[in-house]
Amino acid sequence: MNTLITVSLLGIAAMLSEVFRFKKFIQTVFIAAVTGATGLAVLDWGTSYSYFRFMVLFDDYALAFSILFLVLTLIWLLLSQEYFCNENTRADYFALISFSLAGAIILSSFSDLSMFFIGIEILSVSAYVLAGSNRSDIRSAEAALKYFLPGAFSTGFLLFGMALIYGATGSFNLSNISLWIIANHSNLPVMVNAGVVFLITGLLFKIAAMPFHNWAPDVYDGSPTPVTAYMSTIIKAASFAAFYRLFVSCFSIMADWWTPLLVIAAAITMIGGNITAVYQNNLKRMLAYSSIAHSGYLLLAVAAINQLSKPAMLFYLAAYSVASLGMFTLVNRMGNEQQLDKLKGFAHDNPFYAALITLLTLSMAGIPPLAGFFGKYYVFLSSIRSDLIWPVIVAVIASLIGVYYYFRIVYNMYSKPAASAHVVSLSGFDKSAILITALLTLLLGIAPALIADII
Amino acid sequence: MYSTPYDYLPMAIMAAVAFGFVAVTMAATHLLGPKRKSEVKLDTFECGIESQQNARFPFSIKYFLIAILFVLFDVEVIFMYPWAVNFKEGGLEGFIEMLVFIGILLAGYLYIIKKGALKWE
Repeated sequence: MNTLITVSLLGIAAMLSEVFRFKKFIQTVFIAAVTGATGLAVLDWGTSYSYFRFMVLFDDYALAFSILFLVLTLIWLLLSQEYFCNENTRADYFALISFSLAGAIILSSFSDLSMFFIGIEILSVSAYVLAGSNRSDIRSAEAALKYFLPGAFSTGFLLFGMALIYGATGSFNLSNISLWIIANHSNLPVMVNAGVVFLITGLLFKIAAMPFHNWAPDVYDGSPTPVTAYMSTIIKAASFAAFYRLFVSCFSIMADWWTPLLVIAAAITMIGGNITAVYQNNLKRMLAYSSIAHSGYLLLAVAAINQLSKPAMLFYLAAYSVASLGMFTLVNRMGNEQQLDKLKGFAHDNPFYAALITLLTLSMAGIPPLAGFFGKYYVFLSSIRSDLIWPVIVAVIASLIGVYYYFRIVYNMYSKPAASAHVVSLSGFDKSAILITALLTLLLGIAPALIADII
Repeated sequence: MYSTPYDYLPMAIMAAVAFGFVAVTMAATHLLGPKRKSEVKLDTFECGIESQQNARFPFSIKYFLIAILFVLFDVEVIFMYPWAVNFKEGGLEGFIEMLVFIGILLAGYLYIIKKGALKWE
């Protein structure tokens, strides 16, 4: 709870820094507050308190995800230094990031459908604005619009789902809903099933899973690269945290009924996302499709819904997000055109960092002994425990397709530079971001229990 | 409990009535109403100043900004009515919570003033 309050106050402070002229220090304040909030979450570890008449519940799940979001934000700051350069907009961007972080923390800790809705709105509304934050670029404006319209549309689905669930069960509280569904399990009204389908539809939109993914590539491509990095890591992690929390605490008893829906969505997403990524020549777009494909694996963990899927999801999100942040550091340096060809000669100029990026790429492809491999391992293990055998086979095939395009990145980095080509060069902050993400990837790969065993 | 599609019959009747009402009124006005077609009658605004042009043309974004800010602060006032009605029941705790709420609003207000959102020139 203290974490959430700190982050919310940070957002207001960032807004007021414009008024009271401490804009220069806002980055310091931001880093201090986010670090402090992480510390507060760590101090609360092992406790489980409910606040505001059972609106939020800060249990280990909520705290673990809050810590993940905050740590990712700190790493993310390294690669987005130039994004905050402009004096006029700096305070706004910091305020928006803080607010969306507050939304993310609510999404990992809600215990009431109304808080779930508030969290998802705080998270997305800030993200819509951030997507359009590069006002001189028409593609950024396009991204904001393409993000806002499907986002608002999917929110409608979520609300309708909630209304149906409320209509059937008479409560917004997750545990009351769960108790009601257990009590009436043998004879559930159709309203509950319809509500669940609407909730799934809305959430699949939010996480950009395959039948509802069409907005994602253009939005990821058009937004300023730091915002894309933020969206494909922290926002995705928050949406998945909410997805799993909602379904495990309300609808786990009727899992047999909705698991097939999620499994089918997961299979289409994994295969479709990976195959479309193969055809991309633009690195940013490729990472967008790869992010869609990763949603598929994560959906499998949600569908499995057993003891193992909670740590599997947390670990997968941590491994994927860390590697993604490293990759987006590179994309950020490529300027407005992120063609893969531009990477040629990169390894010749920066052999050490090319090696680190290769490591991150291998982790995303799921090669042992890196973090990405263990992420996939835990997800597959939890799916097999729930007897989801064929989806795991599909997932393995999809991963094999994924290896091909991840290796295209490596191949391009180690090719000879084209004559008179401008080679990508890294700043000090970029180097530290890549170094930190690569070290974390290695650490999580060598000692996966560090994260996997805590919840 | 209710769980058959049959239990949704009231909803179906409700929907049928809603759509039926629209259909019936539209058909009835079309068939029963007298039809006089003159230039003045078909004009967009029958009375007042003569219309100049189509209303769909670009206008200053400032109007939009003022309007959206008005809506924002106008809607917040709605939250004060239930609070005022339940002021005694809320007690000191309710009062402090309202102060926090107003404080956040005030922070937003300071922000938009500083950002120059209300400057017309």
